[in-house]
Amino acid sequence: MKPKRMFQSTIIRRISQIFFLLLFLFLFRNTDYPGQETIPYAVNLFFCWNPLIAVSVMLIAKTVMVIFLPAIGIVVLTIIFGRVFCSWMCPLGTLLDMFQRFIPGTHTRGNTHFPDIRYSVFILTIMSALAGLQLVGFVDPFSILFRGLTFVVDPLMNIILVGFFDYLYLHAPEWISGLSEPVYQALKKTILPYQCVYFLSVSLSFCILFVIFSLEIVDRRFWCKKICPLGALFSILSRFSLLKRSPKKMCATCNQCATMCRMGSFDPEGHHLADNCSRCMECVQSCPQDRIGFHFKFNQKAMTHTSISRRHFVSSTMMGAILPLINTIDAQHKQPHPYLLRPPGAQEENIFQDLCVRCGECMKVCITNALQPTLLESGWTGLFVPQMIPRLGYCEFNCHLCGQVCPTGAIQQLNMDQKHQAVIGKAYFDKNRCLPYAQQTSCIVCEEHCPVYNKAIHYDTVRVKNKDGNMIEIKQPYVVEDRCIGCGICENKCPISGEAAIRVMVYKPKKFSYNLF
Amino acid sequence: MDRREFLKQFTLYSTGSIMMAPIFNIIPSVMAKNDQPQLIVGVHPNYALLVQKTLAPLGGMSAFVKKGDRVVVKPNIGWDRTPEQSANTHPQIVKTLVELALNAGASKVQVFDRTCNVDRLCYTNSGIKQAVESINDKRAVCEFIDDRKFIPVTIQKGKALKEWPFYKDALAADCYINVPVAKHHRLAGLTLGLKNVMGVIGGERGKIHTNMGQYLADMSTVLKPNLTVIDATRILLQNGPQGGNLNDVKILHTLIATTDPVAADAYATTLFGKKPEDIDSTKAAYTMGLGEMNLDKMIISRV
Repeated sequence: MKPKRMFQSTIIRRISQIFFLLLFLFLFRNTDYPGQETIPYAVNLFFCWNPLIAVSVMLIAKTVMVIFLPAIGIVVLTIIFGRVFCSWMCPLGTLLDMFQRFIPGTHTRGNTHFPDIRYSVFILTIMSALAGLQLVGFVDPFSILFRGLTFVVDPLMNIILVGFFDYLYLHAPEWISGLSEPVYQALKKTILPYQCVYFLSVSLSFCILFVIFSLEIVDRRFWCKKICPLGALFSILSRFSLLKRSPKKMCATCNQCATMCRMGSFDPEGHHLADNCSRCMECVQSCPQDRIGFHFKFNQKAMTHTSISRRHFVSSTMMGAILPLINTIDAQHKQPHPYLLRPPGAQEENIFQDLCVRCGECMKVCITNALQPTLLESGWTGLFVPQMIPRLGYCEFNCHLCGQVCPTGAIQQLNMDQKHQAVIGKAYFDKNRCLPYAQQTSCIVCEEHCPVYNKAIHYDTVRVKNKDGNMIEIKQPYVVEDRCIGCGICENKCPISGEAAIRVMVYKPKKFSYNLF
Repeated sequence: MDRREFLKQFTLYSTGSIMMAPIFNIIPSVMAKNDQPQLIVGVHPNYALLVQKTLAPLGGMSAFVKKGDRVVVKPNIGWDRTPEQSANTHPQIVKTLVELALNAGASKVQVFDRTCNVDRLCYTNSGIKQAVESINDKRAVCEFIDDRKFIPVTIQKGKALKEWPFYKDALAADCYINVPVAKHHRLAGLTLGLKNVMGVIGGERGKIHTNMGQYLADMSTVLKPNLTVIDATRILLQNGPQGGNLNDVKILHTLIATTDPVAADAYATTLFGKKPEDIDSTKAAYTMGLGEMNLDKMIISRV
């Protein structure tokens, strides 16, 4: 059969790319309080159908998780069509393709000599997961992209637009602000987030995104064909794919396919590598001879090229086994950080760090902006795991959105009664700074805000001598420890400047140990 | 000073004064009242009827809202609690007041409060947002606080507080209706009408707590409600101002309406078995001549 020239394939593919990018952004924007208690649909869909995350989480938890059922769909899709995900669906790939249009000259650039480390990264991730260390969050493209959007891109876009409209509102003449305000309100209802949010060390997340996008200058889809472990997994599955290219080898007279191929799926001899090929169909469309086609063939072996040497395979496997071991002697296990508060419903610390894929969903959804990325408080392996910083935001009593969006159950889904009793930590007063104790000034703002029905903060009414030497009656607060759930609203609202006079600490921090044998 | 230095300093000073935040001088029209304040206490289990019944002796809503007026109905939406838990004003009371103001010809009725919990949760779970939206009138809006609208105000009659940011829309309203809920509050004793001003001020409200009674009285010299309606349909007896436990709630089906903010608070105090002078803010406001505190000097009519 003569291959039919597919005029429309590029357009169809772009429509698909844009669709999935918009879906990703739509779900991103709706990872927010929906105006009711529960989020009505799966905003974490992209993480649920991610087979890399599914594999690494299920390996570390050593259980089968139903939430990753959609990942089977992607696996089947890959087995049938090959690595189509990367060129047709991946939002990061789409963004890289869009970004690449602004860089002149990359179309004609050949492959760099940078080795293809995808398989090493993949094996390292999987092996570490098997041995008890979760690294997938650092290398998974969705985690990187979602975190980057949450921490940097979205807040930055918001603050620039809000700043612009605020300036017009406050300083421009009325006829201008009269025009700009309706635009602003319309934007607020559609694309802008509800509030300005702030995150710790946003520059770090920015740098990661910046590097990935900058590598596009070196080569097209550098991240995808050289580093991405999800791409490696798709490549492995692609070996069995039914959709195969013909001819299998480049024509001797023309090497246009190889120069234009974004995935670098031709070896130096000109063989087409079915596992690297993402079925973008660009070569089909642009072949001057109209010779290329993709067809379903069941019992024909395709040329594949797993670019990992035995040496690299062994070394990455070893590394994957050793890294978790090294992590066990980290001092964090002997003395956990006393102020490292985890979200309500978080699993015990070691399981929590295992299951967390650092996707940033919980930090995006947190209605008070309380959840922040952990930096080095629990060692480098705990980077980007969520923690609550009460001075930035507290845990809202009637909110349990973080558990609803967590794709791995690191933060468990709670119902409202469970949420009301979920203990994050316990609050402690610093009487050297607390106004009624230290300055004989009335306050008890903490008591007023305590959301526990019968109040976890009580007070004694005492007579004290104030600064002027007069005896006054004053209410001195104290914590009723067994009622405190550590929501942190007291610490958040404490009116003294700097560090609060009441602080939430980890409650009976459990030392967690790694069972070596 | 040479010419160069003069020009430099002149530029700096004028830039400084231009860049400075605008300060609004609002001279309160606080006059010692000779006539006794009229206070209406209504009791009825149907809250829509209750509002109409209680306002009727004062001349109904049309005595306060003229055609084309911009009206602010300021309930307490401070907490992420349901109407039964009694931490916020009852949504039906708010809704009826808004409807009455609309019927009286208001050009716009705004409902807002600066919340203590997250605003979106408070507005939704208090039921007030849905109640106002259910009127389905474009003139009635239940909107979130816009931080840009807080403007610094000099409190000329203030004894302890000289300046504080207030919400522009509250100051600019033709008719400001204060609709607090009566409930327990450990520091203030009770939170009533005067305390409800906390929802239209900016700044760090925690600082108000250091001398709450006097600060509240000072602030009420700036913002004097045209009408105070205290919601005592159900009152929170303890664990206020948030409550949560339904056992702390007592159902009274009662509404208090008056033009005198101090008298409203003074009477509401008696519902809790306390005396008006037990509440610092009531006492401070009375001392400053902002209203009547003695129950026997009010004309109290029950309907």
